[in-house]
Formats: sequence, structure tokens, C-alpha cells
Amino acid sequence: MKLTRREFSAGLAAGLAAPALMRSAWAQGATIKIGMCVPVTGPAAEQGLWAQNGAKLALAAVNKAGGVLGKQVELVIEDDQTTNPGIVLAFSKLAAQSDIVAFLGSIRSTQVQAMAPDVIKVGKPVMIGGTNPDLTHSGNPWLFRFRPNDNYSGRVIADYGVNTLGKKKWAIVHSTDAFGTAGGKALSEALTKLGAPPVLDQGYANQSQDFTPVVLAVKQSGADVLGTYFTFENDLGIFARQLRQLGVNIPWVGSPSVVAVSSTKLAGPALFGTYGVADFAEDSSDVAKAFGKSYRDAYKTAPDNQSAWPYDAITILSAAINKAGSTDPTKIREAILATQKFAGAEGEYNFDKNGDGLHGYNVVKNDKGKIVYDKHIDFND
Amino acid sequence: MDLVLQLLFTGIGIGAVYALVALGFVLIFRATNVVNFAQGEFSMVAAYLMVVCVELGLPYWLSFVIALAGMALLGVIFNLGVYYPLRHRTYLPVIIATIGASILLSNSVLAIYGPQPQVLQGWFDTPGIQLGPVYLDSQYLLIIGVTIFLVLFNFWFFEKTLLGKKLQATSQDKEMASLLGISVSTMIMITFIYSAVLGGLAGILVAPVLFVSIQMGSTIALKAFAATIIGGFGDVAGAIVGGLALGVIETFGAAYISVPYKDGFAFLVLIAFLVFRPQGIFGERVAEKA
Repeated sequence: MKLTRREFSAGLAAGLAAPALMRSAWAQGATIKIGMCVPVTGPAAEQGLWAQNGAKLALAAVNKAGGVLGKQVELVIEDDQTTNPGIVLAFSKLAAQSDIVAFLGSIRSTQVQAMAPDVIKVGKPVMIGGTNPDLTHSGNPWLFRFRPNDNYSGRVIADYGVNTLGKKKWAIVHSTDAFGTAGGKALSEALTKLGAPPVLDQGYANQSQDFTPVVLAVKQSGADVLGTYFTFENDLGIFARQLRQLGVNIPWVGSPSVVAVSSTKLAGPALFGTYGVADFAEDSSDVAKAFGKSYRDAYKTAPDNQSAWPYDAITILSAAINKAGSTDPTKIREAILATQKFAGAEGEYNFDKNGDGLHGYNVVKNDKGKIVYDKHIDFND
Repeated sequence: MDLVLQLLFTGIGIGAVYALVALGFVLIFRATNVVNFAQGEFSMVAAYLMVVCVELGLPYWLSFVIALAGMALLGVIFNLGVYYPLRHRTYLPVIIATIGASILLSNSVLAIYGPQPQVLQGWFDTPGIQLGPVYLDSQYLLIIGVTIFLVLFNFWFFEKTLLGKKLQATSQDKEMASLLGISVSTMIMITFIYSAVLGGLAGILVAPVLFVSIQMGSTIALKAFAATIIGGFGDVAGAIVGGLALGVIETFGAAYISVPYKDGFAFLVLIAFLVFRPQGIFGERVAEKA
């Protein structure tokens, strides 16, 4: 038999690929894999750890209850380095593993934005925690959000400040990244609708070592209430302390980072008396309480939204795959979108056609270092 | 006017932090002709050492002494592990090695201590003093005080003591220095120890203001590096003036022009200096140095 060069190359390629193909086929049979892009290094490594904790807690529960499609579920974690190039790289590494059926993306909007084009190319469901409203409103069918978006947080902050606290003269301080800019804009629009347009709209760059100019601007604006969108707890801690030092003691209603565990620890008394919208509040429902208890038992620390959304994402994703009865991306997508009245740790999930699961926020108060649940504000639109 | 005074105080305070770290850059550059990119990580490591000691229940002053002693030891290890094996090579491998060391240091601390930022109490129980319309943060006052002291100390040390003069001689001409009986490697060792302690001091002083986190060193070091270039690379007074200038410029730029572009002002000044006066404020002209 005479072997042509082409046949030889094809044979060689097949021979070389066979073990890999067999391995991947075997792996496909053993477990259901979910990829997770999460900061293991970089400025958000701390929050990344909590996200992993939350995801692993849900994973253990899912596996204990028999797994997904009769198989155990496995989490494949890739470090996104808390940077945009980092998450693009992490996602492409995970996407290259064809047996991963779905992914968990970032809680940071700017990172989700960075990976979004690749998500469309890969065409598999990605659960996200970033709250920039545009993420699920830009025609990307594969992004599913497990936190309420900032249209809601802005409206809840504005509603609470104007209607409950009775304050009309607002100063807004926000980060200039994708999250902070969108949040600041949403808050400003919500305030304008309520007839209280902000007197100051002040952006700042992340990782600032000093906030004196920002605090002085707030002071000079004559505002009687402060609304904030801070991305990093370090920044928030420095800002809060300088705010109090320079004698600004007006009521403060902020995005979730104001009431995050690490901000409360870093800023201490500087944050006493502040209000925050929180997608996760332990006292807001029975499911949240149960999640809080099992999280404390497992990790000896209080959970916050950083760990609650991956917990819900894994739980709902697993249920959706089971309901779909297959790992086909389109079927999983339909099953997630069909998820209604699902009680999660973050609240009741009612997915809309855009892929937004939650439509309201809790308002909580920092009562001398303890985060106390105040009320839940939900919207139907 | 009140506003200007308040901004000036904060600007000088944050500038003093840059100056302290810049000083460490300059000393190593003078002695070895390389930029030590791990200088910021020295600050971070010292702050973590301090946190660990305080958490162990040791008194603040003892924790301070232990942290600085730890930094001296790190200086020795750094010299022997990073600089010494490469000392006969050009500056490039050494610089790359310091970048490698900086990654190693920050990830080691991350691995050992975890990513959670930590709180370190300041030296004083009172957070600050209200002086008329201006609020003076006690920790910033301490930082400014230490910076002034170090300027005087460095002047005395390098100009008036034999050891200081030996160090200067080594940095100016290693061959000549060794012909005169100065042990060059000992002098370089001392420089590394001194720089590590200085960087550590900056880290411990700034920790109560900026919190203790893995990336605290790199953010300060970047500005400090700009400060050294503005001041004139290799000049001690230049590092101090450059640091203070940078702190004041970015604070005022943020207050009067744009907050989001605060970091931009620092680097705009840096670029302006690189274009129009690359030798910095106090730098010698290149021709003189040759």
C-alpha cells in the first residue's frame, strides 16, 4: 500500500489527537464542568475568595442532592487577576475546554464588558454579577445577571433618600469605572425624576490615596445627603474617614460596598449610621438566613453579596440544566430564562427576557458596625 | 483660603509619603546604578510585619522595632539573592531581577496572609487636631515630621560621617573606592539594608492612612518613581522635593481641575520633566556626569 503525504499527515494528526480526544470524552462522561473566572490575585483577590466560597457552598449542596443530570458537578477556576485583560485571558482558557457547559463571570461590570464579545463567540451561558444595566441590554443573549442592576440600585437609593429620609439636596460621588459611571448616572436620573436633581456629581479614579479634594467639593456643594458608588472597599474606607475628619456628617445612602463586610471593618466608626442598598441582606428572607448560617458554619465569617450571587448562580444554573435535561447551550438558556419565583439568597428570581433575575434591593443600615435590615424596595418594570 | 490650606496640608502629607519611598529608590540607584522596582513592596512587607506583631499582642513600639529589624534582614537577603549574583552584569538583568523580586514578595504575602486588607492603628490615639479651619491628621503630621528628620539625618550621615562618605565614594566610583580600601560589597550591602528600612518605615507610617493591602506598595512606588525623576535621579534632596511637589500638584490639580484625572497630573508633570529637563530639578547635567 502506498501512503500519500496527505494521508500520512492525516493519520499522524489523528494518532496524536486520539489520546486527547479519548481523555476529553472520558472527562465529559465523568462530571459536569462549570468554569469560573474569579480574581485570585490583584486588588479584588479578597472578594474573589468569597465568591469562590459561595460557589463551592452551592456546589456541595447540588452534588449532595445528586448532582446535575445524574453526574457530579465540578468547578474549574481560572484567575482573572482583577483586570480586564486578565478576565479575557481567563475566559478564553476556560472556553478552550469544550466540556465546560457554562461559566460564572465577574461581579465587576468593566470586566464583563471586556469579556462580552468573546462570550457571544463562545455561545454558552455566562452568569454575571456586574450591575451596569447595559450588560444585559446590548443584545448579548448569553449573559444572565444574578444581582439587581444599577437602574434598580439608583432608584432605590433615590427613593429611600427622598421619600424615607426626606432629603432633596444630593451630592453624588462615584468611581469613574464602568460600574461607578453607570451607577452615578442611574442615581442622577432617578433623582431628577423625583424632582431632586443632584447639586454635585463627582467622579474619582479607583485606587486614590487621598480624597480631600472630593470631600471638600461635597462640603462646598451644601448638599444635605450623600449618594455614592464606590468600587473598592479600600477607597471607600479612606474616603469615609476623611469625610468625617473634615466634618461632613450628612446622611449617606450608598451602593452595596458601603455595607460590605470589609468596608465595615476598615472604616469602623466612620461608617456608623450610613445606609446602603444591599442585594444581599441576611435578615431579608428565610433562604438568605439559611445561606448565612451554612456560610458561617463553613467559613467562620459573615457572608455578603460577593458570596451570595455565585451561590445563587450555581444553584439556579444546576436546576436549569436539570430542567433542560441536556447541556445544550440554547436549552440551558431557555431554562434559565424560564426560572420564575425562585427564592434565592439574594432575593426572589424572576428572569426577564434580557437575562436579569432580580428587580429590587434591600436597604440596610450600619448600626454601630452591625448591618441591620431595614426594608425591601422592588420594582415591576 | 481655608480650602487652599487644607489642600496644601494634605498635599504635603501625601507628598511626604512619596518622598520617603523615593528616598529608598535614590539611595540604591546611587550605590548600584539600578532602579529597585521592589522598593514599594518593601513598604508593603513592613506594614504586614507590623500588623502581625500588633495582632500577636506586642506593644506598638516593639512591633515597630521588630518590623524594621525584619526589613534590615530582608535588605540583606535581597542584596545577596537579587543584586549580588548579577553585580558584574549590566544594569538590565538586575532591574528585571528586582521586578521579579517584587512579584515574588507581593505574591508571597498574598499566599501567607491572604488577600484581606488590614487595619493598622496609628501611633497616636487622637486622630487629628483642628487648627482653625484646617484639620491636621495626626498620622500625616507624623509622616511630615519623620520626612523632615530624615532629610537632616541623611545630610548629616552622608556629609559628616566616615561611613556616609565611604558610601558616597562607592556610589561615585566603585573601582576607585576599592583601591582606597573601601569594601564595595559591604557598602552596597549597607545601602540595601538602609533602603529596605526606609521603605519599611514609609509603609508602616502610611498604613494607618491607606490601610494595609498587597497593592499598597505598588501604587505608592509608581508615584515615588515619578518623584525621583522629577527631583533628579540619584539626588537625595531631589527625591524629597520631587515627592512633595508631586503630592501638592496632584492634590491641587484634583481640587481645581479634575478629580478623576488626579493621577494624570502627576504623570503629566513627569512627562514635562522628561521632555524639557530630563535631569530633574537637582540632577547634574549628563555631560558633567560622564
